[in-house]
Amino acid sequence: MAETYLDIIKKIGRKFLWLLAVLAGLDILYLCTFYKKDREKNSTLMDYSLIPVKDSTDIIYLGESSNHACSETDVDKRCISDMIDDLMPDHRVGRMSKNACHAGVYYDMIRNIPRKNPVKTVIVTVNMRSFSSEWIYSELETPLQKEQLMMKKAPALYKRALLAFKAYDHWTPAERDNVVRQGLKDQTLHLPYFFPYKNASDWDHAIAAQDYLFNGQKVSRDTIELTCHYIKDFAYQLDEKNPRIKDLDKIARLCKRRGWNLVFNILADNMDQIKTLAGPDLEYLMRHNAEYIIKRYEPSGVIVVNNQYMVRDKDFFDRTFPTEHYNQYGRKVIADAIVERLKETIYK
Amino acid sequence: MLFNSIEFLIFFPIVTILFYLFPHKYRWALLLAASCFFYMWFIPKYIFILLITIAIDYTAGILIEQWADDARRKKICLIVSIISTCLVLFIFKYLNFCSANLVALAQHFGWTHPAKALNIILPIGLSFHTFQSLSYVIEVYRGNHAAEKHFGYYSLYVMFYPQLVTGPIERPQNLLRQLHEEKEIDYDNIANGLRLVLFGLFLKMVVADNLGQYVDLIYANPADYSTWDILWGMMFYSFQIYGDFFGYSTIALGCALTMGFKLMDNFKAPYLSGSIQEFWRRWHISLSTWFRDYLYIPLGGNRVSVPRWALNTLIVFTVCGIWHGANWTFMIWGFAYGVLLVIERGLRNIHVFDRIQGKIGRGVINVLNIGKTFIIVTLLWSVFRATSFGNLHDVFAALWHNTSTASALHVNAVTWIALALFICIDLILKQRRFDEWCGERKTYVRWILYAAMIFAIIVFSSVQQYPFIYFQF
Repeated sequence: MAETYLDIIKKIGRKFLWLLAVLAGLDILYLCTFYKKDREKNSTLMDYSLIPVKDSTDIIYLGESSNHACSETDVDKRCISDMIDDLMPDHRVGRMSKNACHAGVYYDMIRNIPRKNPVKTVIVTVNMRSFSSEWIYSELETPLQKEQLMMKKAPALYKRALLAFKAYDHWTPAERDNVVRQGLKDQTLHLPYFFPYKNASDWDHAIAAQDYLFNGQKVSRDTIELTCHYIKDFAYQLDEKNPRIKDLDKIARLCKRRGWNLVFNILADNMDQIKTLAGPDLEYLMRHNAEYIIKRYEPSGVIVVNNQYMVRDKDFFDRTFPTEHYNQYGRKVIADAIVERLKETIYK
Repeated sequence: MLFNSIEFLIFFPIVTILFYLFPHKYRWALLLAASCFFYMWFIPKYIFILLITIAIDYTAGILIEQWADDARRKKICLIVSIISTCLVLFIFKYLNFCSANLVALAQHFGWTHPAKALNIILPIGLSFHTFQSLSYVIEVYRGNHAAEKHFGYYSLYVMFYPQLVTGPIERPQNLLRQLHEEKEIDYDNIANGLRLVLFGLFLKMVVADNLGQYVDLIYANPADYSTWDILWGMMFYSFQIYGDFFGYSTIALGCALTMGFKLMDNFKAPYLSGSIQEFWRRWHISLSTWFRDYLYIPLGGNRVSVPRWALNTLIVFTVCGIWHGANWTFMIWGFAYGVLLVIERGLRNIHVFDRIQGKIGRGVINVLNIGKTFIIVTLLWSVFRATSFGNLHDVFAALWHNTSTASALHVNAVTWIALALFICIDLILKQRRFDEWCGERKTYVRWILYAAMIFAIIVFSSVQQYPFIYFQF
C-alpha cells in the first residue's frame, strides 16, 4: 500500500528526533575532544575577556590598538589602561584590548565576564571611526566576527557549526569594495547650512579628483589620500540606526542589569590635522557626533569622557592614516582625563 | 547564496517544505521566487542581466516555433538569439580581457590605444545559465523540444536555484519537462536528496577547503616551497577542484531530488579514467556533452577526415578553455587537452598499448593508464590554477630548482585523512552515486556514516572562506 502524506511526515519526524539525539551526542563528543583546542585557535578574545579579569579587578578597560600602540621613541611604553591603574593605586584595573575591536566585540567580551566577578566599573573605548562604513565593513571585521561566534553562549557544536557555515561577513575583495562604496553613499550628510555633497562618497570622490584642499591650497597626492581617509572615516551623522550605536545601547543595558558603572571613553582624533585638511565641515560633523553620544547616554547614567580634542597633532605618531595611535604623552592625556572623571563621579 | 552557508541551511528546508505545501499550479511561482531570492543574495541588481538573457531566449524560442516552415527566418532568429545571449557573456566576462590584450598589442607596435577597463564584477554563474539558455533555443530550433509558452516556467528552467550558479547545465528535455510534472512527496527522494546534500557538503567543506589552504599558500609564493611541496600542491589542487565542484554538483542534485527533480550527474569517478578521452566523459559531464552536442557534432564530429577531426577537436577544447575564464592560461589549458586527444587517437591507431598489454597483462596496463591520465590531468590543472603565465613559470621553476628535501608545507593530519578518505570513497563508489550506495547499507551503518560526516563537516571544516571554484565562471 502506498504511503500517505501523514505516514511520510511521521517517518521524517522520527528521523528528525534521531538526528537531534545524534547532534546532542556529537556535542558531548566535541566538548570532550576538540573544543578546547578550537577555542584557543579561533577565539583569543575569549581569553582576553577572561584572563585579565582576576578576582581583584574592579575596573575593566576595554580598548583596541589605541590602548597599547606605542611610538618607537616612547620611553614610557605603558598602555592607557596601565596608566589608569597606576593613577588609581587603590583599585586594580584589568585590560581587555585587541586591535580593531569595537562596541560589538566589547559587548560579547563583557557578557563573558563571570557574574560573580567583583567588577564595579567598565570603561569602554569609543573610537569614532568605528561608526563609519569603512570600519563596519572592513576586512578586519571578518576575523573579529569569527571570534565573536565562539564567544556566544550556546552549545559548543552549534558555535563551531556557525563558524563552519560562515555565519560572518565573507566577501571577496571586489564585493567588499562594493559594500563599502554603497555604505559611504548611505552616509548622507545634512548640515544646517549649504553643503555641496550629499554623502560621504560624493565628498570623497570630489576631493580625490583634485589636487587642492578645501581652502584652495595645492597639496601632494599623499595628502589628498589622507584627507579622503578622514572623510570616509568621519563623514557620517549618528542616529539610532547605526549598528555601533545599537551595540553601545546593548552594552549600556547589560551594565545596568549587572549593576556596573559604565564609562564611554570617546577617543581623541587628530583634530588639528582634520581642521587643516578637511576643514570646518568635517570638524562640525565630528563634534556633532560626539555630542550625540553624550546626549544619548549621559541621561541614563553612563559617564561619557569626551577626549575628542584632547591630543594634539604632535602626539599622534601615524602620519599617513587616521589611526588613534598616540605617543606616551597622548596616552597620558587620555588616562588623566578618564581618571579625573572617575574621581569626580564614581570614586570620589 | 552559498550552499555551505548558514543562510542556505535556513533557506533550503523552508523552500522544500513550502514546495510540498503549495498546490502544483503555484509551485513554479514559489520556486521562481526562491531562485530569484537565492541569486539576488549575491548582487541583487545582476538579476536584470539574467532577465535579459531569459527574455531574449524565451522570445526566440517562440518565434523559432512560429516560423517552423520558414527555414531562413528561423535560422536568423536562432543566430540573433545566440549572438545576443553571447554578447551579454562577452561584455561581462571577456570585454576587459580583450581590451587589455588590444592595449598590449597596440603598445607592442608603438601605438597608443586608450582603453579603460570596465569596473564590473562577473555575475555569478553567467557562463552556466548562458549555456543552459542556449541549449533551449538550439533544441527548439532542432525541433527536439517545443517552445515553452509560459514565461514563468521558462524563467524557472534557467533560474532553478539548485543548478543556477554552477550547473549541472541542464537540457530542456530533462528539466523543463520535470518542472511541469506534478511531484508527489516521496520519502525515498527526500532521504536520498538529503544524503547527497550531506555528502556534497563533506566533499566541499572537509576535503576541498582543507586542501585549498595549502594550494593557496603554494601558488601565492611558489619560490618558498621545495619540489616535493610543489608536487603535493599540484596533487592537492587536483583533489581540491574535484571535491569542490563534485561537492557543489552533488548538493545541487540533492536539493533538487528532495523536491523530486532528477538532475543529470556531472561526475563519474574522473580520476579513475584510463585515458584523456575517458576523463572528459566523466568530468563535468553536463559541459562536455554540451560541447559535444552543440559544437563538436555541428562541426562534423567523427564523420570527417582525420585532419578535420583534429582541427574540430582543437577548436572545441580551446573554446572549452575560454569558457572557463578570460585568461590565456585557460585557453592554453583547453588547447592542450585538444592536442592530447589528437595524440591519444594517433597512438590508439598504431595499437601501442595493445602490443604492450599482451606482454604484461590487462590489469597492470589499466593501473598504468589511470596513473598516466592522472599525472597529465594534474599537470594541466596547474596551468588552470595559475593566475598568470608568470605564476605558472614560478611554479614550474620552483618544481625544477628547489630540490631541497626540507618541506615548508606543514600539512595537518585532518587534511591527509580527508584526502585519503576521498580517494577511498572514489574507489568504493566507482561510478555509483553516494545516495544509491548508502541506501543499500544497514541502518546502523548509515547512521554512523551520517554522524561521522556531520561531525567532520562541523568540526574539521576550514574556518577560512573558500568560494566554490566554479563560481568565477
